[in-house]
Amino acid sequence: MERTEVLVIGGGLLGCAVAYHLARGGAGVHLIEKDQLNRHASGQNAGSLHFQLEYRMIQHGHAVAARAAEALPLHLDAMNSWAGLEDELGEPCGVRRGGGLMLAESPEDLALLAHKTHLEHTHGLDVELLDARATHELAPYLSERVVGAAWCPGEGKADPRLVTHAYARAARRLGARIETGVRLTALRHDGRHWLADTAAGPRLSARAVVVAAGVWTAEVAAMADIRLPVVPVALTMTVTAATRPLVPHLVQHAGRRLSLKQSAEGNILIGGGRAAKFVQQAGTLDLDARPELRLDSVFAGADAARVVPAVQRLPVLRVWSGATSLAPDQLPLLGAVPRRPDLYVATGGSGFTLGPTYSRLLAEQILTGSTALPLDDYSPARFGALNFV
Amino acid sequence: MNTTTPDLLVVGAGPAGLAAAVTAATHGARVLVVDEQPRAGGQIWRRPDPGNPGPDPLSAPAYAAGRALLTRAAAHPGIDFAHHTTAWGVFATRTAPDGWAAPPGTPVPAGPRVAVHGPEGVEVLLPRALLLTAGAYDLPVPLPGWTLPGFLTVGGIQALLKGHRTLAGRRIVLAGAHPLLLIAAAQLVRAGADVAEVAFAQHLPAPADLIRAVAALPGNRAKVAEGLAALRTLRRAGVPVHTRTLLLRAEGEQHVTAAVLARVDQDWRPVPGSARTVACDTVGTGYGFVPSTELARQAGCAAHWNGPAGGWVLDHDDAMRTSLPHIWAAGELTGVAGAEHAVATGRRAGLDIGRSLGLLESAAHDRELRSVETELAATGRMAAFLDHTCAPHRAGLHALADDDTVLCRCEEITFGQVRHTLADNPGLDTADAVKLLTRAGMGPCQGRMCGPALLELLHRETGLPRETIGAFTARPPVKPLPVDALARAHDATTTPESPTDAGPVAR
Ligand SMILES: Cc1cc2nc3c(=O)[nH]c(=O)nc-3n(C[C@H](O)[C@H](O)[C@H](O)COP(=O)(O)OP(=O)(O)OC[C@H]3O[C@@H](n4cnc5c(N)ncnc54)[C@H](O)[C@@H]3O)c2cc1C
Ligand SMILES: Cc1cc2nc3c(=O)[nH]c(=O)nc-3n(C[C@H](O)[C@H](O)[C@H](O)COP(=O)(O)OP(=O)(O)OC[C@H]3O[C@@H](n4cnc5c(N)ncnc54)[C@H](O)[C@@H]3O)c2cc1C
Repeated sequence: MERTEVLVIGGGLLGCAVAYHLARGGAGVHLIEKDQLNRHASGQNAGSLHFQLEYRMIQHGHAVAARAAEALPLHLDAMNSWAGLEDELGEPCGVRRGGGLMLAESPEDLALLAHKTHLEHTHGLDVELLDARATHELAPYLSERVVGAAWCPGEGKADPRLVTHAYARAARRLGARIETGVRLTALRHDGRHWLADTAAGPRLSARAVVVAAGVWTAEVAAMADIRLPVVPVALTMTVTAATRPLVPHLVQHAGRRLSLKQSAEGNILIGGGRAAKFVQQAGTLDLDARPELRLDSVFAGADAARVVPAVQRLPVLRVWSGATSLAPDQLPLLGAVPRRPDLYVATGGSGFTLGPTYSRLLAEQILTGSTALPLDDYSPARFGALNFV
Repeated sequence: MNTTTPDLLVVGAGPAGLAAAVTAATHGARVLVVDEQPRAGGQIWRRPDPGNPGPDPLSAPAYAAGRALLTRAAAHPGIDFAHHTTAWGVFATRTAPDGWAAPPGTPVPAGPRVAVHGPEGVEVLLPRALLLTAGAYDLPVPLPGWTLPGFLTVGGIQALLKGHRTLAGRRIVLAGAHPLLLIAAAQLVRAGADVAEVAFAQHLPAPADLIRAVAALPGNRAKVAEGLAALRTLRRAGVPVHTRTLLLRAEGEQHVTAAVLARVDQDWRPVPGSARTVACDTVGTGYGFVPSTELARQAGCAAHWNGPAGGWVLDHDDAMRTSLPHIWAAGELTGVAGAEHAVATGRRAGLDIGRSLGLLESAAHDRELRSVETELAATGRMAAFLDHTCAPHRAGLHALADDDTVLCRCEEITFGQVRHTLADNPGLDTADAVKLLTRAGMGPCQGRMCGPALLELLHRETGLPRETIGAFTARPPVKPLPVDALARAHDATTTPESPTDAGPVAR
């Protein structure tokens, strides 16, 4: 049996970043990842650093939007975290904060943006409504159909290819042990320690366990006999061939699923949360199989990208699917799991944008028992009723 | 497209696809054959555009069977062709199809959705049976100088000659391990090129003895005759044909000006002091072929590693069924084995597709099956012999690249950069993970060029089996197509009542 202080399950952005912050705080850390680092959501996502409320949060009426806005303090924290991340880790992460636009193509879109901006202002986010002229002056690459935008100068992008590995290397330098190809298969508490079984590996024992298992979070939590409502969501990304510098901003849309940006290498990335389909195995979702793409999502993503006409001529190189996790209220699921000693979880929501923040706050909680920003609103305790506690 | 719902959709109008189309159509199937090339024929029976004057490259005696098959396929009323049409993705093979593609009110048939891109834009086909016969391409071998203009593969040189009546260069060195080198060299000589040398890396008796050994195999006379004729042509033209000779690198500043060749031992290691320089403006390498499995793997068909048969080849049963329902594969996708075997596997698949569509009585099926099996056995022996004598020595080829050699041409990533990344990131050991971190394999060719060499590099550096390292995950579109074509398909497939923007997410 191998002993460690904190065992982290999952080698995505959240797992590697938590491992880094824990190691920096002096804790002994052992991270296990069943596949390779960064092979799931953290390496498949769009890399948007979006601090405005997203389309998925504002499309379902004011009440839902107001609820989603409760996470804005995390957005503000994340904006600062990304600004200093490359210096902090001493590693390139492809962070570029050139500002972000959320576009309107109709009066309805404009009304949504006005309401959204108002909500964001009450939480202190720096965001501004632009009329058509100001929008086109700022972003001459946009289609004439765009009639206005919300502009958030702190938004931008980072490179999902790099960030997780940057955290992992930094964590290793601080003494964290990171293992790939090791899958957690059972988890129980013996009254003093967590005992973890792994497929084809030794049994591990740890004082605390962090579940950073992405779409597998519910599965891993269930090993500790806890039900967490984590909804797996399969999504679609499209990338074009590289082209000349064309789009310096993060582009989103108020009325459609769209995120669009240009990578440092010149490729245009088109995303925004279009559905892919989970494959099933004997009637249950097979989270290990890559989700199957839907043609309607592929076509509609290309259609939404018409807001940047020059993109239409570019060749599409690849379309891929990935899976991420949402809590039913679209808020983060972050903090200590009630009634289980030293079991922690981090998932849900915009886990790339908010990853540096989630991970720092969670490590703070594990190391000191308290956090700089209150986590109560995001605590798994809000779903305690599901476990009859 | 005349029909979007054929009984059988064949992707690839090469020997395998044509043979399958004729077989299935003969039994009454409505067949649609799509191919990205302007004309049917695949690699071996490639011809210039109809408008391009000049002699028909298929007039040579070796191509008699091909001419006959092409003529039959073209004349068959049950077979439609769509040329200049690329199949870029296969969908709904593992999940239930969405109803969106069907006109309102019609039932949604089971089976794969095949997205194609042709002169009329993007279309989605709903065949009852899908046969993949996408063929193979030359194994790319990265070595110093391989990105210079003038450095080609022998297949590329041959395609220029057959498809465009163009000589790739004035003075050409061909190097490799595959008998196609001899065929192509002879074709080049006949077309007026100066072939400076043909170099085979194998530690073999002379190619003539090799050909004689092949002659001992029954049922392969045409192939043998073709090889002997090629050798005679080369001898008459005074073209040196060397064995145990490996291309080490190409030299030149703006363009290839020389090839550096050396004697090698059994393991393709250069004999010290044996390197020599041959002046030339063009180099063509021919180390065998890589099956084009990307569309099949994108669809979700299982594949396995078989080095001598070309690398990753598709899993299939005796009747050429892949691991997925409704999808068959034939030809080089199931293992590189030459045109005759491709024809035999195509006939086998066509017969099984006819049976599974309910077009054949079992007695008729069994009768035809016996003749197909005889053909499969004979052509399979030849393929096994070629695999045995001509398979590339992957370790020997891998040793040719140094740290400065470009591995991924699209993204300009060197072998040294990948080694450095491996050293920096312990535990990184699958092709997909290395691609994501280094960008090798992320460019327009989708890793077709660097995939085999990266696999070999990871295999050597990590000591892991190739199955563990894996192939790059194949994603649609398997060949690039413009964003615009997809956006137009959106216009064509959405109605105001069925907007596609509100997916199930967070609904
Ligand atoms: C297509 C797409 C686009 C997105 N775009 C954005 C965006 O633009 N901005 C944004 O903020 N967010 C975006 N997201 C969401 C974001 O990617 C995720 O929230 C974030 O990456 C989650 O990180 P993670 O570490 O929790 O999950 P993952 O990266 O999925 O990591 C979880 C890891 O846990 C491992 N694991 C699971 N079970 C076990 C086990 N039993 N034993 C060992 N290991 C295990 C898994 O193998 C996996 O590697 C997007 C997601 C997708 C799919
Ligand atoms: C360049 C080259 C030259 C060769 N020359 C010879 C030779 O002279 N003699 C010999 O014996 N063997 C030759 N070979 C070997 C040859 O591959 C086989 O002998 C034979 O052609 C294989 O038949 P096939 O039907 O499996 O595939 P192929 O003949 O390769 O046919 C595959 C067809 O599929 C099409 N295709 C592929 N993907 C798609 C897609 N996604 N959408 C639409 N269409 C698609 C291609 O355009 C091609 O026409 C050559 C191979 C290559 C690569």
